[in-house]
Amino acid sequence: MMFRRLGLGARISLAFALGGLVLSAFLAFATQGLTREVLLRQRENAALDLVLNNAQLVQSQLTEETDPAELINIVGALQTSSSRPLMEVDNVWQGDGSGEFTQEDVPLRLLDRVSSDGAGVLRTQLDSEMVIIFGVPLPEDSATYYEAASLAETESNLGTLQIILFGAALATTVLAALLGRYASSRMLRPLRDVSEAAEAIAGGRLDTRLDQQVAPELASLASSFNDMAGALETRIEKDARFASEVSHELRSPLMTLAASMEVLENNRPQMPERAVTAVDLMSSDISRFQTLVQDLLEISRFDAGSAALQLEPVAIAEFVRQTIKFSEQDIPVEIPPKAEELVIDADKRRLAQVMSNLIENARKYGGGATLIAVSPIGRRVRIAVGDDGAGVPVAERSVIFDRFSRGSAGGRRGADTGVGLGLSLVDEHVRLHDGQVWVTDRPDQDHGAWFVVELPISLDHLREEADSL
Amino acid sequence: MALVDIRILTVEDDDGIRTAVKLALEDEGWEVVEADNGEDALALFTKTPTDVVLIDIMLPGIDGFEVCRSVRKNSDVPIVMVTARADTHDVVAGLEAGADDYLTKPFAPKELSARIRALLRRVRPSDSGSHLVFGDLEIIADEGVVRKGGEEVHLTKTEFRLLVELATTPGRVYSREVLLERVWEYGYFGDGRLVDVHIRRLRTKIESDAANPQHVVTVRGLGYKLQT
Repeated sequence: MMFRRLGLGARISLAFALGGLVLSAFLAFATQGLTREVLLRQRENAALDLVLNNAQLVQSQLTEETDPAELINIVGALQTSSSRPLMEVDNVWQGDGSGEFTQEDVPLRLLDRVSSDGAGVLRTQLDSEMVIIFGVPLPEDSATYYEAASLAETESNLGTLQIILFGAALATTVLAALLGRYASSRMLRPLRDVSEAAEAIAGGRLDTRLDQQVAPELASLASSFNDMAGALETRIEKDARFASEVSHELRSPLMTLAASMEVLENNRPQMPERAVTAVDLMSSDISRFQTLVQDLLEISRFDAGSAALQLEPVAIAEFVRQTIKFSEQDIPVEIPPKAEELVIDADKRRLAQVMSNLIENARKYGGGATLIAVSPIGRRVRIAVGDDGAGVPVAERSVIFDRFSRGSAGGRRGADTGVGLGLSLVDEHVRLHDGQVWVTDRPDQDHGAWFVVELPISLDHLREEADSL
Repeated sequence: MALVDIRILTVEDDDGIRTAVKLALEDEGWEVVEADNGEDALALFTKTPTDVVLIDIMLPGIDGFEVCRSVRKNSDVPIVMVTARADTHDVVAGLEAGADDYLTKPFAPKELSARIRALLRRVRPSDSGSHLVFGDLEIIADEGVVRKGGEEVHLTKTEFRLLVELATTPGRVYSREVLLERVWEYGYFGDGRLVDVHIRRLRTKIESDAANPQHVVTVRGLGYKLQT
């Protein structure tokens, strides 16, 4: 389960490491085993020559009259640092005098082998040391010569080899893991490219494409991906163009309607009452229609990516006061002294639409705007519009910025409700300025909505402020 | 204000719009002559004395910019241009072709008549009655005459109004908003490009080197002033 939860890259490196470990462990064990056999045999052969020599030497010195005192001298003379001699003559055992190698140390199996086959070799443990015990019968003297040859040197060589092999296995495992990581990153790179491209497309950069790949599997992935992106782009462009063309085509008849309506309105006094009512109805719907078409045109420009900012330095405090004046509503305004001189780089026409849409939204759904507050927050400035309505339920707070969404408050299709493009335009305009807009609870009480627009302060302005410090 | 005997030439290829606008303008008491293409408009303009020209940029044949330039070549008649959208280069191109003001479609005829009235007010000479001299520049406000190095410079009414406005308090910095209000009668939310393009046009006429102005200078981030 843990393994499944790991990323593909980690899994590939892990598999490589595991493979490396198994392979190197196998090689190490095989090497160790073979080398051990070879080294022991070599040692055995070398020791055997020596043992046979010694046996001959003993035999030549041994006579009928040899007494135990002489025997100890003969045997003791054969002792070296790596071999211990032992003699059995007529069931009398004589060691080299050190007492390290005695009758008890000779395994029964070797005794059997010597008595049945004539000579024997056996590897065994002597005082926790590996030795080879040779048994050479000397039948003429009814004696047997035994010698225990130490394997300490061979064992130590084997130990060193073991450490080297262990180190090599470890290094192989690490190398395999690194190789795995490299391979997986090479292998997953195209996947990462695909995911980055998909993200870019989702983010609105519809012309994002993958580079042509050389490997055939990847080439087909890249070309399918690019085909899909191309189809998507064409489709979205077609939709945007359609919306834009429809709105464009609506403009001319709408203009004729609006202008004719004005002519009719100029002639109201000469009209019968019923006609006046009809003219009023038409007039109000024509102006709604006009707003709708203008908003749709604006939005289709955002969709087509052709919305261009006309940036100019705007003193935000003055701008907000002028906005309120223009709205012809008596809205209290709260501007702290430190916000008086704030300048932002803004498209005045768009920002004016942001403010008027928010004020209009408050008028339609929130019982009218009750306060507009400006507050600088670090390198950004917030402009908040508060109203006196029921507020916006948490679940609707992001949805109300979607197109044609009016929230539960706007469900009734009264004469005065909008079509639900106002707030989505606010969102688009603000985002075009690198800003953000959201709605929350009014900070001072428990009812009423609080729409906050946050915009970056002009860099020039920040620089000038820093200079004046 | 009585603006009698005002004749307006409208150039618009959409019959519905042209007729409806004509009716609405006639309700204001103005006489309207119409053309549905640029060639006819220019022919009409040379034959008929005209007080204001309304030109749609999108025309079959020669386009609105070209009509605008041809009219401007021989006359300082106020020109209002109609564009499809506000956030394109069309507006600047139209203003540079010589338009005094612009509207975007769809506009309300009431808005158009307000624009026309503002333009017509600009046509009347200023009554400041002053004779001002700034280096090689001479402004005789009540005669509507400007001389540069003794030579008369031909300014449109809008350019002239703009210069006189800046000259009322020489050295004072006028923000674009103030100039928009005083010269175009727009409020705070008027299009600042109207001021910028007209200042540019003014400079090519009264400055020896328009790229390095000596009279009408820019005060960065604040606006414009007339150097004393």
